[in-house]
Amino acid sequence: MPTPILLPKLGNSVEACILVDWKVAVGDEVAEGDVIAEVETDKAIMEVESTAAGTVLALLYAAGDDVPVLAELAVVGEAGEEVVIENEESVTVNEAAEPAAPKSVTEPSAPVTPESVAQAPQSGARPSPRARNLAERKAIDAFALVGSGPGGRIIERDVEAALHARPRLSPVAEAKLADGDYTAPERGSGPGGRIMAKDLVAKGEARVAESDAALPAAPEAAAASPALTPIKGIRKVIADRMLESMQTTAQLTLHGNADARALKALRARFKASEESLGLQRITINDLVLLAAARSLMEHPALNALFRNGVIEQYPTVHLGIAVDTPRGLMVPVVNNAQALSLKALSDESKRLADACLNNRITPDELTGGTFTVTNLGAFGVERFTPVLNLPQVAILGVGGVALAPVEEQGEVIFAPHIGLSLTINHQVVDGAPAARFLQTLSRNLANIDLLLAM
Amino acid sequence: MTKTITIDPAVVRDKATVAVADVPINVYAPNPAAEKKLYGADGLTRMYRDMVFIREFETMLDRIKREGSYEGIEYNHRGPAHLSIGQEASSVGQAYHLTPDDFIFGSHRSHGEIIAKSLSAIAKLDEAALQSIMETYLDGAPLRVVEKFEHASVRDLAIDYVLYGTLAEIFGRANGFNKGMGGSMHAFFPPFGVMPNNAIVGGSADIATGSALFKRINRRPGIVIANIGDASMGCGPVWEAMMVAAMDQYRTLWAEEMGGAPPMIFNFMNNFYGMGGQPVGETMGFQVLARVGMGVNPESMHAERVDGYNPLAVADAIARKMEILKAGRGPVLLDTITYRFSGHSPSDAMAYRTKEELDLWREQDSIIGYRDYLLENELADEDALGGYPDEIVARLVRVLNAAASLDTSPRVNVYSDAIGDMMFSDTPTEKMAAGEAETLIPLEDTRLAATQAKNRFGLDASGKALPKLRTLTYAEALFEAMIHRFYIDPTMVAYGEENRDWGGAFGVYRGLTEALPYHRLFNTPISEGAIVGSAVGYALSGGRVVAELMYCDFMGRAGDEIFNQMAKWQAMSAGVLKMPLVLRVSVGSKYGAQHSQDWTSLAAHIPGLKVYFPATAYDAKGMLNLALRGTDPVVFFESQRLYPETETLVEGGVPVEYYEVPEGEPAVRRSGRDVTLITLGATLYRAMEAADELQSKYGVSAEVIDARFLNPLNYAPMLESIKKTGKVVLASDACERGSFLHTMASNLTQLAFDYLDGPIAVVGARNWITPPAEMEEGFFPQKEWIIDALHERVLPLAGHEVTTRQATSEILVQNQAGI
Repeated sequence: MPTPILLPKLGNSVEACILVDWKVAVGDEVAEGDVIAEVETDKAIMEVESTAAGTVLALLYAAGDDVPVLAELAVVGEAGEEVVIENEESVTVNEAAEPAAPKSVTEPSAPVTPESVAQAPQSGARPSPRARNLAERKAIDAFALVGSGPGGRIIERDVEAALHARPRLSPVAEAKLADGDYTAPERGSGPGGRIMAKDLVAKGEARVAESDAALPAAPEAAAASPALTPIKGIRKVIADRMLESMQTTAQLTLHGNADARALKALRARFKASEESLGLQRITINDLVLLAAARSLMEHPALNALFRNGVIEQYPTVHLGIAVDTPRGLMVPVVNNAQALSLKALSDESKRLADACLNNRITPDELTGGTFTVTNLGAFGVERFTPVLNLPQVAILGVGGVALAPVEEQGEVIFAPHIGLSLTINHQVVDGAPAARFLQTLSRNLANIDLLLAM
Repeated sequence: MTKTITIDPAVVRDKATVAVADVPINVYAPNPAAEKKLYGADGLTRMYRDMVFIREFETMLDRIKREGSYEGIEYNHRGPAHLSIGQEASSVGQAYHLTPDDFIFGSHRSHGEIIAKSLSAIAKLDEAALQSIMETYLDGAPLRVVEKFEHASVRDLAIDYVLYGTLAEIFGRANGFNKGMGGSMHAFFPPFGVMPNNAIVGGSADIATGSALFKRINRRPGIVIANIGDASMGCGPVWEAMMVAAMDQYRTLWAEEMGGAPPMIFNFMNNFYGMGGQPVGETMGFQVLARVGMGVNPESMHAERVDGYNPLAVADAIARKMEILKAGRGPVLLDTITYRFSGHSPSDAMAYRTKEELDLWREQDSIIGYRDYLLENELADEDALGGYPDEIVARLVRVLNAAASLDTSPRVNVYSDAIGDMMFSDTPTEKMAAGEAETLIPLEDTRLAATQAKNRFGLDASGKALPKLRTLTYAEALFEAMIHRFYIDPTMVAYGEENRDWGGAFGVYRGLTEALPYHRLFNTPISEGAIVGSAVGYALSGGRVVAELMYCDFMGRAGDEIFNQMAKWQAMSAGVLKMPLVLRVSVGSKYGAQHSQDWTSLAAHIPGLKVYFPATAYDAKGMLNLALRGTDPVVFFESQRLYPETETLVEGGVPVEYYEVPEGEPAVRRSGRDVTLITLGATLYRAMEAADELQSKYGVSAEVIDARFLNPLNYAPMLESIKKTGKVVLASDACERGSFLHTMASNLTQLAFDYLDGPIAVVGARNWITPPAEMEEGFFPQKEWIIDALHERVLPLAGHEVTTRQATSEILVQNQAGI
C-alpha cells in the first residue's frame, strides 16, 4: 500500500509551510525517520521526516510551493506501485444538479400573502452553513455568489458551480487564497490557465508578482545581468508583512533620548564583576529591554494588539526582540518580560537570538509578542523609524549612544545619551500617550540603578 | 363474540322483570365470645395496636407538616402528605386476614394501608422469611439502617423496618421502599403484598383488576383488593375495571378448572368526601355507594356496606368475601364507610364541613370505641393496651431521626443518571415464569404452517409484485411474532376488543383462537382505559401481556393508563417492578376524523415509554419479536395501510426463523447522495416514490431512511446521511404541529448544523380533522408534498412546478390562523 507522508503540524500557529527543498527524489529508498524535505514556516526552517519506509513514489509539491499542514507531501511505497492521487473534491460534484437560475424557480401556484417575504429573493442573501464551509475550504468568497436556494440562499451547489467555473488552483495558490488575503484572477499563468501563487492579487492591490515583469526597464541594459533571487520563505513573509504594516496602519514615529550615564556606569560594573556572577554579558540593550518592559506596565495602551477592529490590551509584556539573521529579520518573544530579573531577561534574549541564528528557533517562540524592541545602535544609527510588527500597536527603536548637551547647575555639559524612536499605530494610540511612555522610559533609563532596585 | 352463545329473540324479547340481589348494610353483629374464639386475645389486641400505630404515624406527619417537628425532631417535609387519621379501623380490619399472597393496591391516602398490611404480614411470616425479605429487598439498604437499633426479635426489627422504609420513601430517600421515587402517594412494598399506591383517583381499580387476572390466569394464590375512594366511583376507568372484572366469560367460556372470575375486591374507602366534594347529596346520585354493584351483574357484585369504624366488622366482611372469590364468584364491591379527621391535605381549610360534624365522628373515634369494646367485654387487658402509645412513639422517634438524616438516608443523586437508569429495565427475557405455555394444538398445526409456506418477499426476480395472497403480509408477520412468544412464555396473554374469533379487527390474530385457550386470548368490553390499566397490573405482577387498541384514536380513552401508569411504574418503583407490556396501536386511514390519526408523537413525549413503528413486514416481525422479549412498556404502532402489504424493501424478505431488529436503529431503505428523506410509518412508501421522481426528473439522488423507532432512537445513521447530503426532508402522517418529526429536526439541526445546506423541512399531515377517504390525499403527505417542500425550502429544482403549498411562508400563515 502506498503510504502518504503528511506535512506535520509544526507549531500551534503554523498553518502552511514553504517547501524549501526536497532531500529525496522519486525512486529513492527511505527509512522511517529519514529527512525527506526541508520546509520553512514564516518563522523557521524545519525538517520533515518520513513516517514510512520504502521507495519514494511521488513528490506532490515542488520546491517553493506553499504546503498546508497535514497535506500529503509525498507518497512512499513499494517500487512500481501505482499511486492514485486524490484529486480536488470538485470532481465529485453532481453533474446532474445543474444550478437552477433563480428565474426558473416557480412561485407557488397558491396565493402567497403579501406580508410573507420568505420566498422573494433577498438582497444580501446568506450562504447555508454547508455552503459557507465548503467555500471556506475552497477559498471562494461565498458571499459574492448568486444563490440558487430558496429566497436566494447561497447553497452548496452554488459554491460547487463557482469551483467549476474557476480555473484549477495550484496547491500553493489554494492555500494562500484560503488565508483570505488574496483574490484569484479568472485565469492563471499555469498550464490550462491554472492559477499559480504568483497570479494571486493581494486584496485591494494590483497583482503582486507578475507585475514585476512589467515594471519600467531596470538598469538591466547597462552592465551584466543582475543577480535574480525570487523571494520566498522568510524573505517573502517579511516582504508581505512590512508592506502590509505600512499600508494598513497609520504609523507615527516619536524621537527622544535618555541620559545614558547610569546605563554606561552599570554596564561597566557588570563587565568588571566577577565571572561567577554571570553578569558580564549583560549589555546596554538588555537594560533597555528591562526598562521598556517595566515602563510598559504603566502604559498598557502601548502593550496591545489591534486586530479585527478590536484593541486587545495585555496585562503582561511579551517582548519581541528583533534579531538580524542571514535569512532575514526574526523576532523571537520573551514571555512575561516585565516579571524577569535583569539577568533572566538577558539570558533568555540571548538564548532566543542564538536559536534564531542557529535555525533552532521554534514557531511557538516566534509568536505571541505584545511589543517589540529593535536596536540599530551598534551600527551608529542614532534614530530611525521602525516599522510596526503587526498587529502590535507600538515598536521601540533603540539608537546608538551619543553625547548631548545637558544643563547642570547652570553649566552646559555633554553627557552620553541613547536614542529612542517609538513608532505607534496612530489609529489606536494617540501621540500624547505615546510621548508619555517615552518620557517614562527615558526617566527609567536615566535612573536604571533605581529601577533595578524596585 | 363467540359461536357458543346464542342470542335467542324469543328470550330477549319476552316480558320480565330484573330481580336484584339485595345489598346488605352494616350487617355485622358483635359477638364477644365468637370474636375471642376467632381472633384470640392476641389478635384482638394486635388490631388495637396496629390502629394506634397508624394514628401515631399519621399524627407525626401531621405535626411535621404543620409545625415542622415531632417530639423535638425538626424536619421540613416539602412533599405531600394525605393523612388517614380517623380511618385506621378500615385498613387494620381489612389487613387482618390477608397474607403476603394477597395484594392491595391503594390511593394517595394509603399510609395506613401500608402499615396495616405490613404489620399483618409480619405477624404471619416466620422470622426466617422476614429476615430473607429484608436482606434481599433493595440489597438490604433499608435494613442496614434499622438493624443498628436494639431489637428483641426479627419480628420486632421488621416493624421498625416497615416504619422506616415507608417514612424514608415519604421523605424521598434512597433507602425508602422505592428509593424515594414514589414518595408519599406511591409508596409500596411488594414482598408483603403492598402493591403500588396510585395518586390518580381510581387509578388502582383497573391495575388491581389486571393483577387479579394475573393471579387467576397463572394460578397464583391470593386475592387482590383495590382500595379506592368513594369519589372515584365517578371515574370512567373504575367502572371499566368493574366491567372487565365482571365479564361473564370467566364462567361461561373459560375452562372450569381456571377457577372462575378473577379474585378481585373493589373496596371503596368511603370517607364521604372527594377532597371537598360530597358524593352523597352533592356530586353523585347513588346515595349508598354499594348500590352501584346492583347494576354490574346478577350477584350485585356481592356488594355491601361495611362499618369501617369497627375493625371486626371489616375483618368479618373480608373473610366472607374471600370465600366468594376463592369460589370464582367475584368480583366483590365493598363500601367501607369511614371518616377522616385530618384534612384532605395540610392545605385543607375544611371549608366544606362543619366542626359539629367533625365532633360527631370524634365522639365515635374508632380507636377509643374499639378499646372500650375490648375492655368492657374483657377481651383485653388494660395494661397491655395502655403500653402501646409509649412504645410506638419511641419507635417513631428513632425511625424519624434516621429518615430525616441526610447522612443516614441520602437522596438519589438527581444530577447523575440514576433516575434515567431506572426508566427502563432493559432485561430481555424469554419467559416471565418457568413452565410450559398452555396451548390447544402443536405449533406446527397452527396457521404458522400456512404463513411460513408463503413467499417471504413480495417481488419476483424481475421486480414484479407477487400475488399478495401467496405472499407473507405485514399482518401475518405480526402474527408470526405473536405466536412465537405465545408458545414460549406461559404468562403471555393478549386481549382487547375483538381479539378472539374475529382475530382482531384487522385479522392479525387470525389463527390464534384455535391455538390458545380462552384465558390466554380473550375479548374485553369496550373499555380502553381498563384494557391498558389491567395490562399494567398484569405486567407489574409478573406476566407478559399484549393489549390492543383497535385504533390509535382510542388512545385518548386510555390516556391515564398509557401516560401515567404504563410509562411510570418501572421508575416509580425504582426498578422493583418490570413492565413487560406491549400495547399494539393501529394507525388507521380512510375512516375520517376519529379513526385516522397518527398519535405517535403523544407517546414519544411521555418519558418511560418505548415507541416503535414498523413500516415493512420484516420490521413488523422483527420489532414485535424485540418488544415481546423485552421487559419494558412498548407502544407498538402499526399501520392499517400496511397490514395487507408484502415485504418489498428488505432483500431476502421476512425470515421464517426468529430474529429481532436492533432497538433504536433507523434503516436506510435507499442510498443516495444529494438529499436525505426520513420517514416514520407508512409515509415511507410515498418518500420512496418521491425519491424515484427526484432521480428520474431532476437527477437528484435521494437517500431514504425509515426511522422505525421514536424512542429509543439512534441519531447517528441519520447524522451520517446528513453529513453527506446536507439537505433533509422529514415526513410522516402525524399532524405537523407538535409532531415528533420536529423533535428529530431540532436534534438533527443541532447535531449537523455545519453540514446543513438549508433548514430541515418537516412535512406532516395538515393541522385539520382528517377528511373522508376520498379527500385524504389533500390531508396526508404525498409524494408531491415531499418534492415541493424540498424545492421550496431546501433545494430549488430546475424546471419544477409546485402543485402543493409547501413554501416557508405557509408556516407563518397557517400558524397565525391556528391550523
